[in-house]
Amino acid sequence: MSESPGTILVVEDEAQIRRFLRISLEAHGYAVEEARLGEDGLKLCADVDPQLVVLDLGLPDMDGQDFILRLREWSRVPIIVLSVRASEMEKVQALDSGANDYVTKPFGIGELMARIRVVLRGHEGATSTPTVYESAGLRVDLAQREVSVDGEPVHLSKKEYELLHLLTDHPGQVLTHQQILREVWGPAQQDATHYLRVLVGQLRQKLGDDPTRPRFIVTVQGVGYRLAVAAP
Amino acid sequence: MYSDQTAYWMTIEVDSTRESRPLPYLGAVAIVAVTVALAFLAHRLMPHASLSLLFLTGVLIVAARTGVGPSLLASLLSFLAFNFFFTRPYYTLKVAAESDVVTLLFFLLIAAITGNLAARMRREMTRRKASLNRLSGLYEFNRRLSSAAGTEAVLEALASHLQQSLERSIAVLIADAEGRLQPRAKAGEFRAPPKTAVDTAWTGKSLEPIEIEQWTFLPLATSNEPVGLIAISGGLDEEQTDSVRSVSEQAGIALDRTRLVADLEQARVVSETEQLRSALLSSVSHDLRTPLASIIGSTTSLLEYGDSFSEANRTELLATVVDEAQRLDRHIQNLLDMTRLGQGSLPLKRDWVDVHDIVASAVERLSNALKGLTIDIEIPPSAPLLWVHGVLIEQALVNLLDNAARFSPAGGHIGIDVSSDEARIFIALCDEGPGIPEAEREKIFDMFYTVRRGDRGDLQGTGLGLAICRGMIGAHNGTVTAHAGKDGRGTCMRIALPVTRPDEVNKA
Repeated sequence: MSESPGTILVVEDEAQIRRFLRISLEAHGYAVEEARLGEDGLKLCADVDPQLVVLDLGLPDMDGQDFILRLREWSRVPIIVLSVRASEMEKVQALDSGANDYVTKPFGIGELMARIRVVLRGHEGATSTPTVYESAGLRVDLAQREVSVDGEPVHLSKKEYELLHLLTDHPGQVLTHQQILREVWGPAQQDATHYLRVLVGQLRQKLGDDPTRPRFIVTVQGVGYRLAVAAP
Repeated sequence: MYSDQTAYWMTIEVDSTRESRPLPYLGAVAIVAVTVALAFLAHRLMPHASLSLLFLTGVLIVAARTGVGPSLLASLLSFLAFNFFFTRPYYTLKVAAESDVVTLLFFLLIAAITGNLAARMRREMTRRKASLNRLSGLYEFNRRLSSAAGTEAVLEALASHLQQSLERSIAVLIADAEGRLQPRAKAGEFRAPPKTAVDTAWTGKSLEPIEIEQWTFLPLATSNEPVGLIAISGGLDEEQTDSVRSVSEQAGIALDRTRLVADLEQARVVSETEQLRSALLSSVSHDLRTPLASIIGSTTSLLEYGDSFSEANRTELLATVVDEAQRLDRHIQNLLDMTRLGQGSLPLKRDWVDVHDIVASAVERLSNALKGLTIDIEIPPSAPLLWVHGVLIEQALVNLLDNAARFSPAGGHIGIDVSSDEARIFIALCDEGPGIPEAEREKIFDMFYTVRRGDRGDLQGTGLGLAICRGMIGAHNGTVTAHAGKDGRGTCMRIALPVTRPDEVNKA
């Protein structure tokens, strides 16, 4: 592994989890730094400048939410949060505080790898704004504001297009209801999830997306939506 | 040591039904007056001597209805009236004939005898009536005691019975857990018995009635121990003491009975809790250990002999570990959910949720378990949005799907049908499994039902899944019920949730 695709910082207090993360991440060519405590993690972040942080929300010395807020004060490094199930509030809070995505414990390593790839790709892409998004048959021409599915043009309303545009800006990443509402409707309508559900329903219908087996817009129950991306 | 708990007091109106005294005398005068009037009408038709009989009749009527006094008055008045109006010389009180003097004496004599007789008869009648009243009071008291469900009812029956039979103020005081007397029932025009008197009587522990400061105190005891006091205003004669004592013994027996009932109920609750606890323990140990056994077995095999295994076998063993670990995760989720539901502290975080999304993510989460089965999902585009805590409804659906998957034959169909009317949205989930006998379709929602049945067979699961499902749907005021499957095959589980209109939700 001479050419490293980057350094990943793992902030997690469970040694067993750190061990299998290190083995798997190193096998994929990443360099791995480990921290058991939040304070150590913040310090390491400044020292090694990682490409991505994998953060366990349940740290012994500090609240994971505080970690995110403190890190976001000076760094835009992508964060993937590890969280236990049955606490979707915690996940939403972490995402709204600035985490980029999350994985629910217990998780399979494949799922984490996929999230890491998506987040890293999105982060790299953020610097060079592409004018066309294309994945799994969905094509969005951002310059022409044209949308097509499998080559068939689709006509969207202004709000539908804004929603799709927002999702294509973060392909594969979960966006919370709050984030979407704020971007598409403005800060005054942050509780209007009813409108959001209806809008997503309309958008799916126009994209020919089967809501029970969504091809493009995936619902993350209790959290938000993500745009499905084709496996690389 | 004596606190007033007015909430317990019940009052009984005492209405005085005593006759007022002058009435019988007025009656006597009136009857004599009527007799005089009749005599005027009759005295041309009948001999003079017979008129005295008319007056005698009047006297007899008065005597029979009242007592000695009014009848004597009636006879005196009758004599005077007879003398004044009907004997020569008329309209004077002079007596001309000796026979009229005899008539007077007869009047007085008959009045005395019949008046006395009538008075005795009346006394007797009054006593009979009183004893009948007492008997029916006792009967009523016994009836109330035997139907009394708790201590409170017994004490109230005791107080009101004593009040009715003695016509006094009654207080019943019962010792609380710290041995202090608390008033628990009262009857009559209540005056609270003085504290000091109550304390003296209670600390004396006397079995005999004691009279202190115009109150009489009798002990109230169950078969084991004195439990309190009966306080009666004023003194009691021997007969009253006896009757109060027998009544308090009956109340003591009734108290014994109600306490026994309460103890039995307590014991039943405890044993049911115990049963549930042991079912939970056996379920936890079984359901957590089974997957662990597979995981430990597979991984140790790989560690020790992995080199000699074929690549396919190694992969198969590892896949087993993953499947079993995921199963373990589901069990733990169930136990957590159950605990949250059991504490009754499941906070509902309602939001607008598309039923498509719930079905889709439930199916997605179980994609491993559903492998090899066909899932047919029918959701009309008109299906309304749900105003629910999405994660909980999804979990309920996951539990139903998990069951359906487990009981489905290989290659079977599972149908998920959503429909709705004005008020409710229905999610029906039908499988092609063995079905559930009608008698068991309610019981399967009991916690640990599969465990209680003893024979687990090849069933897997904690027996919690359906109970959790019902708990979560119930928390949304919905219902989930089991029905026969389509064409009599398999099972259809049917969730019904109330439909909420967007304008009904005032999301501040």
